[in-house]
Amino acid sequence: MRRWNGRMTAVVLFAAAVIFLAAVTAAGFGFSEEALVTDFSRKNLEPGGAYLFGTDWLGRDMFVRTLTGLSMSIRIGLLSAGVSSVLAMLLGTMAAVMGKTVDSVITWVIDLIMGIPHILLLILISYACGKGFKGVVIGVALTHWTSLARLIRGEVLQLKEALYIRMAQKLGMSRWKIVWKHMLPHLFPQFLVGLILTFPHAILHEASITFLGFGLPPEQPAIGIILSESMQYLAMGRWWLALFPGLLLVLTVILFDVAGESLQKLLDPGSAHK
Amino acid sequence: MKKKVLGILLTLAVTVAFAAGCGGQNPSEVQEQTENTQGETGAAQEEKDSVIVAMGTTSEPESGFDPAYGWGAGEHVHEPLIQSTLTVTTTDLKIDYDLATDMQVSEDGMTWTVKIRDDVKFTDGEALSAQDVAFTYNTVKENSSVNDFTMLKEAVALDETTVEFHMERPYSIWPYTMAIVGIVPEHAYSAAYGENPIGSGRYIMKQWDKGQQIIFEANPDYYGDAPKMKQVTILFMDEDAAYAAAMAGQVDLAYTSASYSDQTIDGYALLAYETVDNRGFNLPAVSVSTDAQGNQVGNDFTSDVQVRRAINIGIDREEMIANVLNGYGTAAYSICDKMPWYNEEARVSYDPEGAAELLDQAGWTVGADGIREKDGVQAKLNILYASGDSVRQALAADTQNQLKKLGIEVTIEGVGWDTAYTRALGEPLMWGWGAHTPMELYNIYHTLDNGTAEYSPYSNETVDKYMDEALKATSLEESYDLWKKAQWDGTTGVIQEGDIPWIWLCNIDHLYWANENLKVAEQKLHPHGHGWSIVNNVDQWEWQ
Repeated sequence: MRRWNGRMTAVVLFAAAVIFLAAVTAAGFGFSEEALVTDFSRKNLEPGGAYLFGTDWLGRDMFVRTLTGLSMSIRIGLLSAGVSSVLAMLLGTMAAVMGKTVDSVITWVIDLIMGIPHILLLILISYACGKGFKGVVIGVALTHWTSLARLIRGEVLQLKEALYIRMAQKLGMSRWKIVWKHMLPHLFPQFLVGLILTFPHAILHEASITFLGFGLPPEQPAIGIILSESMQYLAMGRWWLALFPGLLLVLTVILFDVAGESLQKLLDPGSAHK
Repeated sequence: MKKKVLGILLTLAVTVAFAAGCGGQNPSEVQEQTENTQGETGAAQEEKDSVIVAMGTTSEPESGFDPAYGWGAGEHVHEPLIQSTLTVTTTDLKIDYDLATDMQVSEDGMTWTVKIRDDVKFTDGEALSAQDVAFTYNTVKENSSVNDFTMLKEAVALDETTVEFHMERPYSIWPYTMAIVGIVPEHAYSAAYGENPIGSGRYIMKQWDKGQQIIFEANPDYYGDAPKMKQVTILFMDEDAAYAAAMAGQVDLAYTSASYSDQTIDGYALLAYETVDNRGFNLPAVSVSTDAQGNQVGNDFTSDVQVRRAINIGIDREEMIANVLNGYGTAAYSICDKMPWYNEEARVSYDPEGAAELLDQAGWTVGADGIREKDGVQAKLNILYASGDSVRQALAADTQNQLKKLGIEVTIEGVGWDTAYTRALGEPLMWGWGAHTPMELYNIYHTLDNGTAEYSPYSNETVDKYMDEALKATSLEESYDLWKKAQWDGTTGVIQEGDIPWIWLCNIDHLYWANENLKVAEQKLHPHGHGWSIVNNVDQWEWQ
């Protein structure tokens, strides 16, 4: 039998994180109806056997609501991080390959977006797109691609000087063929890790703008809404409304981080022997 | 990765600390204030004559204490304290005199003649004359950003103590308008008046720290009974901060809401005042069409009058009040419950069987999924509410649960006020109304020039006619009768047996934590807006 090693730990961690997140996402679909149910006969109950996370002032089951909220957060995160990373990949590669003018325009856009505080730009975009699911996804997608794009641009610039790329050029391969055949496969690990590491950002930002009232509408079960509602009830001693949803949000974000880091370990040749 | 996790945890910790800081900030400022006040009164400790009141942050008058910009005469009406008014509303919401000594209206309702007292001085020593009154009314007509003064043509001072109002159209309830317009001095009025108000009322504004507090001191030259409370401090804080301030004993009276009503604070009593601060939703009374801007107007389900009647008797208001308001409310059947112009006929009792029968008779039969339908139209409603208002959200949610039993499927949706008014033309919206004037009825039910009421599509010529007549009436008593007839005249109206285009659910009690030793004077029914109404008669409050 092989000895237990760092790579295997990484595999296990990655699998565990992915399974948990997938389970939460799936649970959210199953509970989507139930999360909206209000029942005044069971309002303000403390956490217990019947209601693991207690109930709120409308008698909504907070366990169901939290899971559905997280599931929605994960879906928003997936969608916006996906769009965001593809955008980053495209623009990053274009900047590096298509010559000086394109490069300076794209770098300028990156600097511009990075220069504006994230949350401000997010609120603006989300509000302009009519808030709700659409607004949040567009907002997060349009603000989170910059750092990954910059990373990829740097990587491509370096790659251009690599021997095998220059050989391919000398052999007469077209610019786009080189990008497609030789560069993209090389960039894929960075892209994947970047994509996964964008999730936690996306989720936290979704929660924040919803918390501030510029995201999803208040009857939706979303983590940001749950947390902002719970603020009013803390003074009355209803601690459970904030504690459990908050903890689960932190857990989810950490798990995404774990998944990303593990994947990086697995894909990076530098850590192949750990 | 550890760094990142640490970062996330730190962020959370900072957020929590920040939130706690926000909540804790105000009370500490209050503390200072309390100490100062106690220091000043010092020896007079045994006979305390100052009071500290906590109000919501939205109660702070944005544009200061200028009646032209909403002070007293705004969306939420109250007595202006700093200024005098011509009339006042009594505890039973009839009219009494403040500055006025007599008022007459001409036969055609086009001229009001008001005599005023001759012994009144502004706090800068100048006498208050009829010219100031005329100036005030001409100014608010010109500038008022919040109230409608289009019925007034101009105000003219005939001599030192007589002022004449020339009207554009008869307006029998003019005395109710006169009860909220504070009289400003012509000689000391400028754009900065709002921040440095001079009036002739019970109190002088001593100090205003924006975003924090306002301090009033009793007017030593007041012409009426001398205020018993010599100093009134108003603090503006969020609900949870007000609660915390009361717990710490830093305020004498703090506003609160039903969700706090199951708490107790040592040394404080929970005061509940009945109101006409009502909540209810509109039911568009016409079929669906699209207006010029492409908005949906009307609703194919609620355009059926039997549906509206079934909903009105199919809602258990008492259960709703117990569920949502912890019992602190009264059932509402109109926009003006308990007002002198309220028609008692509006009252209905909860009758789920009757409601189901009405729907059955109208052809709305229960389908396979438990939802009623008729001619392919499903019995579905989407009730809108202002996002951020937890009471309206809860009322909408409870309506949803109750109507489900009738076979009506309801969804609820939180919206911002930027879109709410337009969307309410086609969908029910959870509203809050209630003011000390019958004009509320007019605003809700009377048709505009385009043939439909302003906030929810509806029109009834007879109802319009009664309200037009009410405004032309020569006495208030006569107008009350006509306002009642507009609600129900025996054959038509806006109540259950009539068109019932609005469903009224409850009047929300206004709740306050009050120091056990503070004796708050009798309150008149509070209007919509949980703010300044409580201090309408702060001059008569006492310490025991």
